[in-house]
This record gives sequence, C-alpha cells and structure tokens, in this order.
Amino acid sequence: MAITDLPVFQALRTKMQWHQARQKVLAENVANADTPGFHSRDLREVSFTNTLKGSRAQYVRQAVTNEGHMQARSQDGPNRPQKVGSFEITPEGNSVVLEEQMMKVTANQMDYQAATSIYARGLGVIKTALGKR
Amino acid sequence: MDFVRTLMIAASGLKAQNGRMRVIAENIANKDSTGRTPEEDPYRRKIPTFRSKFDRELDAQVVQLGRIERDSSAFQVRHDPGHPAADAAGNVRTPNVNTLVETVDIREARRSYEANLNVIQSTRTMLQRTIDILRG
Repeated sequence: MAITDLPVFQALRTKMQWHQARQKVLAENVANADTPGFHSRDLREVSFTNTLKGSRAQYVRQAVTNEGHMQARSQDGPNRPQKVGSFEITPEGNSVVLEEQMMKVTANQMDYQAATSIYARGLGVIKTALGKR
Repeated sequence: MDFVRTLMIAASGLKAQNGRMRVIAENIANKDSTGRTPEEDPYRRKIPTFRSKFDRELDAQVVQLGRIERDSSAFQVRHDPGHPAADAAGNVRTPNVNTLVETVDIREARRSYEANLNVIQSTRTMLQRTIDILRG
C-alpha cells in the first residue's frame, strides 16, 4: 500500500481535484463574462461520505493457520480506484457576475491552499514516524 | 493538467478583451474621420462581438472575438461650410462615434481583462502550492 492510499491523503486528493476542476469552471465563467446568452456554472460540492465509510473498513487480513480460525474480511477500501474529473457541473441560471466569480475564485484558492497545507503536514507526520527528522 | 487548461481558458478571455480594446481604440482614433467628398460616408463605428466556442482540446467553453459589426445608427451632422466634405447646405456628416460611450466601453473591457488576470494569478498560486508539497 502506497502512502498516498491512506484515507486522509485520498480524501485530500479528491478535495484538491475538486478545487482544480472548479477553478477551471470558474475560469470559463470569467472568460465568457461578456458573451451574450452565456450562463455561469459551478461544481456541485463533493460528498465525502463514501470516503469516510472506506476509512472505517478493515484493511489488514488475518492469516489463517487453522481451519477453525475466523477470517476478518477486508473491504474494498484503500485500493479502490477513484474516479477523476467526474464532478457534476450545475448551471446557476443567471448571467455572470464578475464580483461573485472573483469571490468564488478566492475562496477556491484558499480552500485549496488549506488542503495542500494539510497534505504537507500529513506527509510531515509520516516522515517523523519514519525518523527522518 | 487541469490548472494549465484553466490558464488557457483565462488566456482566451484576455485575448478576446484585448481584441475588444483594439476595436474601441480604432473607434476613438477615427472619431473625426469624415469623407473627402460630400458623397463619401464618414467612418462608421465598429462594434466588437463575443462568442463562446467549445474547445475540444481544453474540454471547455473558451471565448472568442466574433464578427466585428458596424453600427448602423445615423451619422452626426456638423455645420462647417468650409469643409471639403460639406454639402450644399454647408453640413458635414461626421462619424457616429460617441467618445463617452467608447470610454465607458473601454472601462468595462479593462474590468473584464483584470478579472481574467485575477484568475490566472489565483491559479498560479494554487499550482505553486502543489509544487510546494514536493519541497515538504
């Protein structure tokens, strides 16, 4: 299991991908701000319910050395491939308001920075555990 | 990489707004361009249009400067009998350019241009943060 398959990193990665996709949609909105008939769009917020469920699953399988042993089943948790770039785009139904889009871009950037900071901190924790510091 | 695509989309916005400013500048520069003879039409104001285009490579709606239309409103008339383009009554037809309208238009173009620049700046910061993870 790679380090990046840990649930924390998985969730953060999904979040970062979501912000990346959102930044693209917002850029489209701003670029088309003066196009007649263009409606601004946004991404539907990502749900982490499934990711959290996955983190509670057991990953480690017990070895069976005797017929009578009960085996703890491993769920399809950590190694499940994650779909990338399938975030739902929803129309907002109004034409583009530049100020609103700027606020969204800023919020998006800040949230992304928060996610990358936590990611880096998480890596730091693992490095500490490895004794590399 | 989505961030690079984002930059390209914002760049298309910059390019379109730049083209718009060019057309507006043309209008302002030709504000006093009358014809040489009474029959010849003076400069007719140009109107930039935008259209949204789906870019397959970027998988996104980018913006493009569409056809440049001509303003079909009436020319302004100025009384100037000495002018070579003056008609029998001494009136000269001057372009249908209103500097006030153009000035406001250029403000709007600048505002949209800056908005696109903001997106680029923000995306660059995000990209930088991603690289910072590597540095630890």
